[in-house]
Amino acid sequence: MKQNDVIAGGIFIALGIFIFTQTISYPSPEKGHPGPGLFPNILAILFIGFGSTLIFKARKPLSKDEMEIASGPKRVSNALFVLGIVALYVVLVNSVGFLITSAVLLFVLMKKLGVTLLKSAVASIVITLFINLMFSKILRVPLPIGILGW
Amino acid sequence: MDFVLQGLVLLASPKVILVIMISAIYGLFVGAIPGLTATMAAALLIPFTFFMDPVPALVSIVTMSAMAIFAGDIPAALVRIPGTPSSAAYTQDSFELTKQGKAEMVLGVDVVFSAIGGLMGAIILMSSAPLLAEIAFTFTTFEYFWLAAMGLSATVMVSRGSQVKGALSMILGLFLSTIGVDITLGYPRFTFGSVELLNGVNFIPAMIGLFGVSEVIRSVMQGELAYPIARVRAEKIFSGMWKLFRRYKVNVLRSGLLGTFIGILPGAGADIAAWIAYAFSKRGSKEPEKYGVGSIEAIVDSGTANNSCLAGDWVPALVFGIPGDSITAIVIGVLFMKGLRPGPLIFEQQPEILYAVYIAFIIANLLMIPFGYLSIKCSSQMLRVPRNILMPGILMFSIVGSFAINNTIFDVGVMLVMGVIGFFLEANGFPVAPVVLGIVLGPIVEKNFMMSMIKTEWDVTQFFTRPVSAILCIITLLIWFFPLFMTVLQKAKARKPG
Repeated sequence: MKQNDVIAGGIFIALGIFIFTQTISYPSPEKGHPGPGLFPNILAILFIGFGSTLIFKARKPLSKDEMEIASGPKRVSNALFVLGIVALYVVLVNSVGFLITSAVLLFVLMKKLGVTLLKSAVASIVITLFINLMFSKILRVPLPIGILGW
Repeated sequence: MDFVLQGLVLLASPKVILVIMISAIYGLFVGAIPGLTATMAAALLIPFTFFMDPVPALVSIVTMSAMAIFAGDIPAALVRIPGTPSSAAYTQDSFELTKQGKAEMVLGVDVVFSAIGGLMGAIILMSSAPLLAEIAFTFTTFEYFWLAAMGLSATVMVSRGSQVKGALSMILGLFLSTIGVDITLGYPRFTFGSVELLNGVNFIPAMIGLFGVSEVIRSVMQGELAYPIARVRAEKIFSGMWKLFRRYKVNVLRSGLLGTFIGILPGAGADIAAWIAYAFSKRGSKEPEKYGVGSIEAIVDSGTANNSCLAGDWVPALVFGIPGDSITAIVIGVLFMKGLRPGPLIFEQQPEILYAVYIAFIIANLLMIPFGYLSIKCSSQMLRVPRNILMPGILMFSIVGSFAINNTIFDVGVMLVMGVIGFFLEANGFPVAPVVLGIVLGPIVEKNFMMSMIKTEWDVTQFFTRPVSAILCIITLLIWFFPLFMTVLQKAKARKPG
């Protein structure tokens, strides 16, 4: 029994049903021919069909390869930390500016991943300056400068 | 030979030469680091190519991908981890030979036969693309619908592992492509009132999320990998190569052709080419017992095939605008954003784009010999780059790259969401490549279907009665029923006594 497949199948079926609830209100061209809703509705049917197949097939026991995927070391806190870093960047960058936001967030993330204090400090500054050079100077993308002016 | 000259003129500018050099080094680095794939390299490269002219942009992607697919062989031989999925098929053989003290020979074969394979693919691309373009000129919306449907079907059939999962990944991609204003009535679909989503999910941040951010998440969850790195004397890698080439010239020819053909199939990329070439190689070999415990023949075959596949992938991309793999899918997405339509018209209106791709393939594969040598010389330094510094760097690049396209923070959000989706898909055994093909092919399928229907006032029979349409329809159906056919065949074989 592959529990993850059952959950994934359920999510895809739910997505299929959700598409149907949305497409009901879509307009249709004259003469009653299908319009904007046709393609999403076909996809909804496929989501439900293949999602059900996935759940049906999940009853089989795990094969050796899949066991390897299922096990293995997991550091969920690191993954959540990465998501948090991106979220913080989104919140901070316009007010604080790219240079400070990037350097600080890189430093924090590297520390979390076990890099030493000095290496984290140097690497986060070097990477930030490198990205700034590439995007701001060479590609001329206006990176947010923030209230401090950099 | 006219186009060769024209192409060379285009590429002779110092700027383009600089782009080639930097892309080559970038490709070698990304390819050699386990966990960073060629597709990820392409995704992270697009923010830069977006700001370039089409010629250097395409040249950069071609050079980078050729180098990355070769460089994936280096860690396979030295630490038994494939640098990109394309080297996975023969990682075991490479490492076994390294343990027997033959690391130099393995890496020599990797460089030389990757380059030969790449050149073979380039020649087939150059000769077949113009011919196919002639045919493509006669295609209408009906045929393009079937081509895209065929591409989607092939994507699911060749996905490794569960085909049901491959199909779900692809449908998810198709669904993502429906977000935004619809093409028939201009009605906003699945935008939930967001102005940013009216134009659809922005392609570049989506790719960076799917292939870059998801990889960062996966890597930080694994923690730091420590592996012993085998020593190699780079100056000795080329000795004995001529002898090997003469011995395995039939293998090279077979695998080069096979790899290119698999590349031309929509949706099948270099990793699949390597696996199939490996299987063919073992079946045709005089020494099948060596496969898996150190066969140089296996490395010759699959190493040739995965690099020849790269050029093959560009055939349907340039001729029909149907991607051959996830890298060309990204390329097509970028070309669309730049207002260029890949397809037969390019052959008349912008032939310089084709020449650039052709010549770039030849130059990249010739450069592979010296650059490959240098990268093997620096291999132990490259493999020692600490991941816990590299991954945060890639994350910040991804964020800024996603932001740079439209200067909007919304796109960073798109990147994050797609990164999480990509991570969960892969963690549960869903292939990610079909998602990209779905995103790129979705609008092609829908637009050509709806246009055909509106043209003929919903006369569906046209899809089956037009001659070329009918042929493409039959091929698509054959792809669908191929697995069923194989099961029936296997059962029939099993029933036969003896």
